[in-house]
Amino acid sequence: MADQERVTLAIDGMEITVPKGTTILEAAKQAGVLIPHYCYHPGLPVAGVCRMCLVEIEGVPKLQIGCATPAAEGQTVRVNESEQAKHARQGVLEFLLINHPLDCPICDQAGECELQNYVFQEGRARTRYSPTYPKRFNPVEDFGGDVLYVPNRCILCTRCVRFMDHVAGEHVLNVSERGDRAYIGIHPQRQLDHPWAGNVVDLCPVGSLLSKDFLHKARAWELDHTPSVCTGCSQGCNVNLDTRAHSVVRVRPRPNAEVNKYFMCDHGRQTYRAMNRGDRIEAPLVAEGGALVAADWDHTLARAAQILKGSSGTAVALVSPSASTEALYLLKAVLDGFTMTAAFRVERADGEQPLAGIAGLSLRSERAPNVAGATLLGYEESFDRALEAARQAAVVVVLDEDLDGVTSDMLKGSGNLIYLGRALPDVARSARVVLPVTNVAEEDGSFVNRDGRVQRYLQAKSGPGMARPAWWILSELLAELGRGEPLGSAAEAFEILAAKERAFDGMSYGSLGLKGVRVGNGTAAEVTA
Amino acid sequence: MAIRVVVVKRPEREISYLRAALKGMAMTFRHLLQKKFTMQYPEQRSTDDWSLSPRWRGTHRMLTDEQGRAKCVACGLCPQICPANCIKLVPGEDEVGHRYPLIYEIDEFRCVFCGYCQEVCPEEAIHVGVHYENAEYERERFVYDLERLCAQTHPVSTLWDPSDPKGE
Repeated sequence: MADQERVTLAIDGMEITVPKGTTILEAAKQAGVLIPHYCYHPGLPVAGVCRMCLVEIEGVPKLQIGCATPAAEGQTVRVNESEQAKHARQGVLEFLLINHPLDCPICDQAGECELQNYVFQEGRARTRYSPTYPKRFNPVEDFGGDVLYVPNRCILCTRCVRFMDHVAGEHVLNVSERGDRAYIGIHPQRQLDHPWAGNVVDLCPVGSLLSKDFLHKARAWELDHTPSVCTGCSQGCNVNLDTRAHSVVRVRPRPNAEVNKYFMCDHGRQTYRAMNRGDRIEAPLVAEGGALVAADWDHTLARAAQILKGSSGTAVALVSPSASTEALYLLKAVLDGFTMTAAFRVERADGEQPLAGIAGLSLRSERAPNVAGATLLGYEESFDRALEAARQAAVVVVLDEDLDGVTSDMLKGSGNLIYLGRALPDVARSARVVLPVTNVAEEDGSFVNRDGRVQRYLQAKSGPGMARPAWWILSELLAELGRGEPLGSAAEAFEILAAKERAFDGMSYGSLGLKGVRVGNGTAAEVTA
Repeated sequence: MAIRVVVVKRPEREISYLRAALKGMAMTFRHLLQKKFTMQYPEQRSTDDWSLSPRWRGTHRMLTDEQGRAKCVACGLCPQICPANCIKLVPGEDEVGHRYPLIYEIDEFRCVFCGYCQEVCPEEAIHVGVHYENAEYERERFVYDLERLCAQTHPVSTLWDPSDPKGE
């Protein structure tokens, strides 16, 4: 940064120094002034077509667009303090509203619509058009994939076109026709089914491009947003879980310059379905007389501890690479003292689905978020070998693994099966203790992505019944075994992990923040982008 | 200490009820001959002097369009504004792509009849009604579904005077 030339300018009386080449719009953001804009998006090339970001620059005769004008030394820029610029922006909004339907009550974007926001902020209170003036009308078009196009609402900012052309690298969208007849056209023989095409819905500043999956599901103001990490693959895109009334209704990307920029793939967007599954275990279960019966936590944990105390020799841990790093570490700690075989398996899809315009961003073939975390903590991708070992093992502990394809006689040899999971597969019915765990939306925790970036996710909703986070269960179990104190939070679990594992040295939830830190960089302060 | 009872001798004129009774009867007979104010409910529901105010806020009514469909577009504003949280709304889309309420229920027991739902409605669909007499045999019947709300025929409330919306 130091060798870069910097310029100082004043925006609405606020003095700010930015690197040379920064646009006025970005500089204003840093000064805390939001210049209204539609076509500009930090993740896309600049087009300068919407004319919404007009600002007054002292000494320049005409208004300039903030998104394409570089900040220069000594400039005096007026955004909200300039009557001329305000008047121009009001004019732009008036033009946009000539043909924009006033259907906010039925529009999915209402509440998070930039047109709605800016019109309320600085638009005209009344139209100057006659109420009988016929607005342009085009029927709703299905773009294929998950995207629906409502041309009436389109303000032709071309963000979607630029995303497909320059970021996704698939030229399927364009601006067809001219003038007031213009609309977003799609290639006649193709569909908008690119694996990353769902981003156009997020990019659209108005309700013109809609997600068919989310259509009419919730209003924007009903949603709570919780920072999380996508569980779709090992890329570890930062996401927000949008929840309403204890169910996750959609997953949207959360900007992180180091990982996913502003984007996420359509596969990741569908992961919310798994978070709302209804076939969950709601109470701890213990084996009594050949059947599993519901019990309370104290009783169940005591039983599990008794099993662990009463056996020695070899232990097999079958874990899911979707379990949190904290849980994976604590499981190892619980089985300390046994000769341990710790293994996971990961679902692999054919090939990767890269986003062409962003280097290193791709829907990865390994479809689990914490493969790197499990590997760092000494778990091996040798599931079959571990199953073989399970035949003779004294104890088998399963953590969140669905045991698909595993038959009960594979695990029968041990007799001591402890199952920590969300749902109860038939195989797990032979377990002596079943401990219900929460899923990614219901607990705090962290994942390590394929680049070794440790990233936190936060609890978005409550878990079903008595289900508890796996780190809580395992820390209670450790306490029961007399090898530690029960932990109160995932942050404490992570502290213990960071103290014991070299790769996580010096890290804490505080230092991770919400953007994450690469392993081995724990002590270096991360500059958040 | 023994209790002593003293019987006080009063004049006959003072303790006789006759005078008071006659006074009362005179009052009664005087009213018998005067104009009657009692409304003969339920045979009579309003009088020349008295009727429900046009701004009365009673049980709801959903207005319908020319085809008899509810005017509601399921925008979700009434469940949002409702202070009693008594409106349940699930939006859906019909065969021509119009947004409409799949489920629209109002729990009239929970309702506090504030009229916010009517005020916030962008489609002038849901209204509070100028209506009383809501007795039912079962509690469940007080959850009005969309069909029932549309079938109501009573007049709807005028929350404000249209000629003087600010009440000045």
